[in-house]
Amino acid sequence: MTNAVDVRGVSKAFNRGRPDEVRALVDVDLAIEPGEFVSMIGPSGCGKSTALRLMANLLEPTSGDVHVNGKPARKARLDQDYGMAFQQAGLFDWRNVTKNVELPLELKGWDRSRRRERALEMLHLVKLDEFAEHMPWQLSGGMQQRVAIARALAAHPPLLLMDEPFGALDEMTREHMQAELLRICGETSTTVVFVTHSIPEAVYLSTRVVVMSPRPGRITDVIDVDLGPRRDVDTREDPAFFKKITEVREALRGMERASSSEAAGPPQPAGMEDR
Amino acid sequence: MNRSPRALAAMVVAPVAFGIAFVALWEAAVKVLDLQPYFLPPPSAIWREFQANAALIWEATKVSGSNALVGLVIGTVLGVALAFVLSRFRVLNELVTPLAVALNAVPIFVLVALFNNMFSVTSEVPRRLMVTLVVNFIVLVNVAKGLTQVDRTHVELMRSYAASEVAVLRKVRVPNAVPYLFIALKIAAPAAVITAFVSEYFGGSQNGLGSRIVGNIAISKNATAWGYVLGACLLGLAFYLAAVLAERAATPGRPQSAE
Amino acid sequence: MSEAAAVRPARSDSAPRARDGYLHRLRAVWMFALALLLVAVLWELYKVVGPQDGGTVFGWKILPRANDQAMPHVWQMLARFGEPERAGFPGTILTTILSGAWFTFRLSFAGFVIGAAVGLGLAVLMARFRVVERGLLPYLVVSQTVPLIALAPLVVSWGGKLHLGAFEWPRWLSAAVLGAFLAFFPVAVGTLKGLTSAPPTAVELMDSYAASWRQTLFKLRFPAAVPYMVPAFRLAATASVVGVVVAELSTGLAGGIGRLIIEYAREATADPAKVYTAVFGAAALGLFMAGIVGVADVVLMRNRPREALE
Repeated sequence: MTNAVDVRGVSKAFNRGRPDEVRALVDVDLAIEPGEFVSMIGPSGCGKSTALRLMANLLEPTSGDVHVNGKPARKARLDQDYGMAFQQAGLFDWRNVTKNVELPLELKGWDRSRRRERALEMLHLVKLDEFAEHMPWQLSGGMQQRVAIARALAAHPPLLLMDEPFGALDEMTREHMQAELLRICGETSTTVVFVTHSIPEAVYLSTRVVVMSPRPGRITDVIDVDLGPRRDVDTREDPAFFKKITEVREALRGMERASSSEAAGPPQPAGMEDR
Repeated sequence: MNRSPRALAAMVVAPVAFGIAFVALWEAAVKVLDLQPYFLPPPSAIWREFQANAALIWEATKVSGSNALVGLVIGTVLGVALAFVLSRFRVLNELVTPLAVALNAVPIFVLVALFNNMFSVTSEVPRRLMVTLVVNFIVLVNVAKGLTQVDRTHVELMRSYAASEVAVLRKVRVPNAVPYLFIALKIAAPAAVITAFVSEYFGGSQNGLGSRIVGNIAISKNATAWGYVLGACLLGLAFYLAAVLAERAATPGRPQSAE
Repeated sequence: MSEAAAVRPARSDSAPRARDGYLHRLRAVWMFALALLLVAVLWELYKVVGPQDGGTVFGWKILPRANDQAMPHVWQMLARFGEPERAGFPGTILTTILSGAWFTFRLSFAGFVIGAAVGLGLAVLMARFRVVERGLLPYLVVSQTVPLIALAPLVVSWGGKLHLGAFEWPRWLSAAVLGAFLAFFPVAVGTLKGLTSAPPTAVELMDSYAASWRQTLFKLRFPAAVPYMVPAFRLAATASVVGVVVAELSTGLAGGIGRLIIEYAREATADPAKVYTAVFGAAALGLFMAGIVGVADVVLMRNRPREALE
């Protein structure tokens, strides 16, 4: 079976050859199988967003290969083999909710009735049927983010790339959205790569958590999370859940110890991670 | 903003290249298409006329320039003073703001025609008054904005210190308004020159740049008129640069306001 | 709106802002009428207390003459609209003013359209090719600091003389070109700013869809630019009127409102109220142009969040 994502020996440097060169990623290897939910976690500047953007082919690696769906990342982007969601919902103010979900289909040249049908189907999936004709700014942050997910999945891509999509939401909305995301991905059997700052979020959502460290950005640990496919409110109170959280936290702290024993490097240039 | 020497060079090279290309193209177009001087004299001819009439152009520049300068200074002082008054009294602000907005949409300089009758056509007062008025509104609107559109958190912080209104004005509103004043000045300085200039089209003494341009065209000396245009451009540029330098001098270390 | 909020932070909360928008505008209209009335009152007041032949302050002759020749009564100005342009002429001066304003409006509108088209084209070019932006933008900025209006008499002097093949350059076109000349800059700069204002994530989103530059331009950049373009067009509308009026003034292009102002100003000693009718006409013209853009604004922004209306 071809991997959903294949990252082999990838390095990425910004401002190469200049005094302010940043080694955002060094020698990253990561294979993700179809159906997996993989979270990438680490402190600012560890290159997790960069890694995601390499998979999306929004950036080109300095060296190494990125394959998505068995194709080079560029081909996968042109073929629309993935959908993407960002921390900001990034809905277009001038389009209503349905039109926002239709955007990727419009760009693929679908005809009007077909893309409307699909958009309504997606809005049903994210439980926003009643808001189809609303303007984005009339919705709450959580609802906007659900529209963004509907948009990302509109073309039924096998892979979903998410960059801290719930980072701007309050804790309650956030937990609700996490449960919704698991349900939606279960229903559509979508593979997910998910960048986050939150340890419980990573553990709750993922089948695997990739722990990364900065300066230079690299993978330091990969932790399997076997909490079973059905995760609900009870999962969050399960001792096994807490055990995994501790494990991820330890992995992050171990890395901290390792890096604080080195001479503290210069602070990461702002905006590298959260572009 | 990373300004390596190479990036800086790129920033300079492109405009200079465009400029040279433009002048060269102009010169070539005039030669190749054999354009008549009344249509478009070549840059070289304009430069010759500019040099030949330098003394006269300088005299005319002094007249237009001093009108612009007097109006700019008085208008700025008046505008700042009014902005303080308006920001203090809400009703006045509500009265003046729509008026300022409306005046903005109107070719206000035609008022010179009225001023010429109210004063004397031969005096420079109507022109200076016109410049004052134009500058006043630009400064007034911007400074009032700076005094009122302050960060709410800052005001709340000052309130939490039980600071007086005067203290809020001095510590929060005035510092906030300073960049706005310079934005206004960078708009007002060239606008003062332009207004001084246009005011001359309404008759009166034939001593400024505007009158001279019209006068030279009337006797078909178009290249000479272009020479005066060049003088006018330099005057406008000088005023603008003065405003930019004033901003640099008054707010060292602050990010400069964008255009 | 936010000004009021900033002045009285203690009292303001954001909820009533949207609802207040309409009332706020209505109040602004009333305040405007009141302000005009106040100006008229101040005018008449000065006529009562001011020196008849002007006055000096600290040796400067800066007090205007308060006599009826220099400063006619407000009611005289208004009444003048109902009288004929010249004794014995049929029709009122209002008709003359309106037809003059209409003439100038047509030229201004032509200038506005030409200027907006050029400005939009330049903005797209600059947004597409960085080298064009780098090379051109400084000149565009500088061009605003120099009195390009000085070119007015030169451009108008082409009228009737210049022949491009069979095409004889008409004088009115010069005036429209000047209007365009002043109008294109705000459009170019405002649109460029708008086109580059699309948030980086939105651009990444379009990239992730493998959208072409054209698709990104029309689906993302232009819609995102609208809030920047509206004020730019408003400036351009005024600028085109200014350009045309200056062209009329500086060269004696007949038929428009600018020319009427000059003519009537010369008759001020005999008929002081006359020039005011023309000045009011010019003001009305400017407001009319701004009104057209205002209507476009309301139509284009009707579905946008309120904040963008600032």
